[in-house]
Amino acid sequence: MDMALSPERLELAEAVRAYLSDTHGPGVLRRLDAGLNRDPAIWQGLIDMGLPGLLVPEEQGGLGMGLLDAALIARECGRVALAEPLVESAFVAVPWLVARGETDELAAIAAGERRIAPAHRLNGAVADGEGAALDSIDPLRNLSELPVDASDDPLLLDLGAIMAAAQLVGLAEAMLDQAVGYSNIRTQFGQPVGGFQAIKHKLADVAVALEFARPVLWRAAQALEDGSTSASLHVSHAKLAATDAAYLSAESAIQVHGAMGYTYEVDLHFWMKRSWALGGTWGSRAFHLDRIDRAVIGGTHLIGPENTFA
Amino acid sequence: MDLTYTPRQQAFRSEVREWLKANVPAKPLLTLECEEGYHQHVAWERQLARGNWGMVTWPEAFGGRGLDLIEWLIFEEEYWGAGAPLRVNQNGIFLLGPTIMEYGTEEQKARFLTPMAAGEKIWAQAWSEPGAGSDMAAIKTTAFRSGDHYVINGQKTWSSRASFADWGFGLFRTEEGSQRHKGLSFILFDLDTPGVTRRPIRQLHGHPGFAELFFDDVRVPIENRLAGEGDGWKVAMATAGFERGLMLRSPGRFQATARRLVELFRQHQHQASPAAREAVVKAWMDTQAYAYNTYAVAAKIMAGGSIGAEASLNKIFWSELDRTMHRTALQLLGAAAELRHFADGRVNDWLEGYMFSLSGPIYAGSNEIQRNITAERLLGMPRVGAG
Repeated sequence: MDMALSPERLELAEAVRAYLSDTHGPGVLRRLDAGLNRDPAIWQGLIDMGLPGLLVPEEQGGLGMGLLDAALIARECGRVALAEPLVESAFVAVPWLVARGETDELAAIAAGERRIAPAHRLNGAVADGEGAALDSIDPLRNLSELPVDASDDPLLLDLGAIMAAAQLVGLAEAMLDQAVGYSNIRTQFGQPVGGFQAIKHKLADVAVALEFARPVLWRAAQALEDGSTSASLHVSHAKLAATDAAYLSAESAIQVHGAMGYTYEVDLHFWMKRSWALGGTWGSRAFHLDRIDRAVIGGTHLIGPENTFA
Repeated sequence: MDLTYTPRQQAFRSEVREWLKANVPAKPLLTLECEEGYHQHVAWERQLARGNWGMVTWPEAFGGRGLDLIEWLIFEEEYWGAGAPLRVNQNGIFLLGPTIMEYGTEEQKARFLTPMAAGEKIWAQAWSEPGAGSDMAAIKTTAFRSGDHYVINGQKTWSSRASFADWGFGLFRTEEGSQRHKGLSFILFDLDTPGVTRRPIRQLHGHPGFAELFFDDVRVPIENRLAGEGDGWKVAMATAGFERGLMLRSPGRFQATARRLVELFRQHQHQASPAAREAVVKAWMDTQAYAYNTYAVAAKIMAGGSIGAEASLNKIFWSELDRTMHRTALQLLGAAAELRHFADGRVNDWLEGYMFSLSGPIYAGSNEIQRNITAERLLGMPRVGAG
């Protein structure tokens, strides 16, 4: 039994964090928003780090890593509100194809030449797909109509949900950082507003929500990687915890920014809108609550202190 | 990350489970906040010690089993899962014990830890004073040197267990004229020392769960001081870390509550609101999240790390979670919520538990203080005003 994220495991995620924080700041989001939303140079950078092939088996030219590693990197993508469709292609579609034994396109995906837009019937739309365009509030999300052949495979849903949860945790962390940063520089009544307890306590609550969402996320990613029979339950838990943390972080952050937070000029809105988008996709709140309800109240899952890791 | 238990851990779990099955009292004990219930709980501590279960993580030399934190968590899971009694010596085993382990001399470890694990000496805490609650650095009670003794004068209050316990520990001002965090020392004292007067305070539920302590020229040998003279604040912060962080509230306690809440919900589903249903699901989620986090913290400590201000996040989470779960239960009980005993004679544990849960966000440093600590030390927000 070991719930630790080992330093070796964290190494790649930390490298990705450093790379993205250097190359993918808010200025990039503004540039994309003013232009074409996607940039081959950014995608090339992700290829150079090997990320499209992270979950592709080594025999198909990938890195052969696991879902927990991918979740750690999806969180970093959330932290910078990455617009490129890395997570859904490489961390959702790839493990699904691998599980189905569909290996034909994996080498091309690992090389960054091919991208898959996973479509699930529970989602009303598909991101970075090819159908008629739909209009998302997230200015950097390329949404289109769901194809008629969209899957209803529960595994695909779980993969989408866990990676959405991971991004939501990263988004929530970034919005908390932005709010703390702003509260330290904005002065009113002759002091930084972050010195007021009303502001401190609001942001402390976000820190609490995140502290207790992260281990749920890692535990669920590992359970899914292990093929545990209760993995779906834990994925639903992670999706709910991450979505709630992201909404709380977004609402707290805009409040701390005051009227500035309500402008298009302040960066916050990119992160907030991505949170709204990911919060509702890959299973709504009601869907995930219902899955937990059936297991916990319905009695199909062992609960109580002796069953922490059931 | 490995979510499976080793065969050794599984075998340990079975051993704990079997012992508890054979030993946990079939009839619930009276509340440990009343005198008779206190003595029942002391007898239980001694029974635990006879099975060598007093504090499994301590070295064998002090009555422990020398086990690691994962095994401790397994013990706690089984303990709460079996519905075993509350630990009347929690101030000792969970708070003072680890502090002595960190700061005590070898002589102090042998002298205090062994009887603590054996349940022979039950401990009370003595932090707060009438003018020093959330602002603990405002402590005024003095312990000035006189030869090889400290002479204590002043008053402590809200001392948990002090109505009936054997020994107490707390912070005292040992340097004349010192201010705030400086000049304080961490001192252990026998509650029956001449000059100590205990005045039990009746709590919300009607029992004398805590007490006021008056000190009139109370002579305590200097070897009862933990760590250096004037180092008391640092030592107390370590104790507070244990209190808010890993030890005091292991997840099993809350997971057991969540399971009882699920059972209660099943009995009352026909009259439950959708909001109650969601609250019950959330109780399972949050108690599980707390458990995962605790396992992660345990792994971190076992790898040589330590807990810092994150302990504040823990304390906010478990104390508010406990209150929410008990409130949900009272809402499910409806008109029966107010009954101290149900018609069949059973104690209404949800009501007693709800009252107790209201103290959680207050004791061990109020949650407002914990939110300040979180904002200032974890998030790096500016410290303004309070010193």
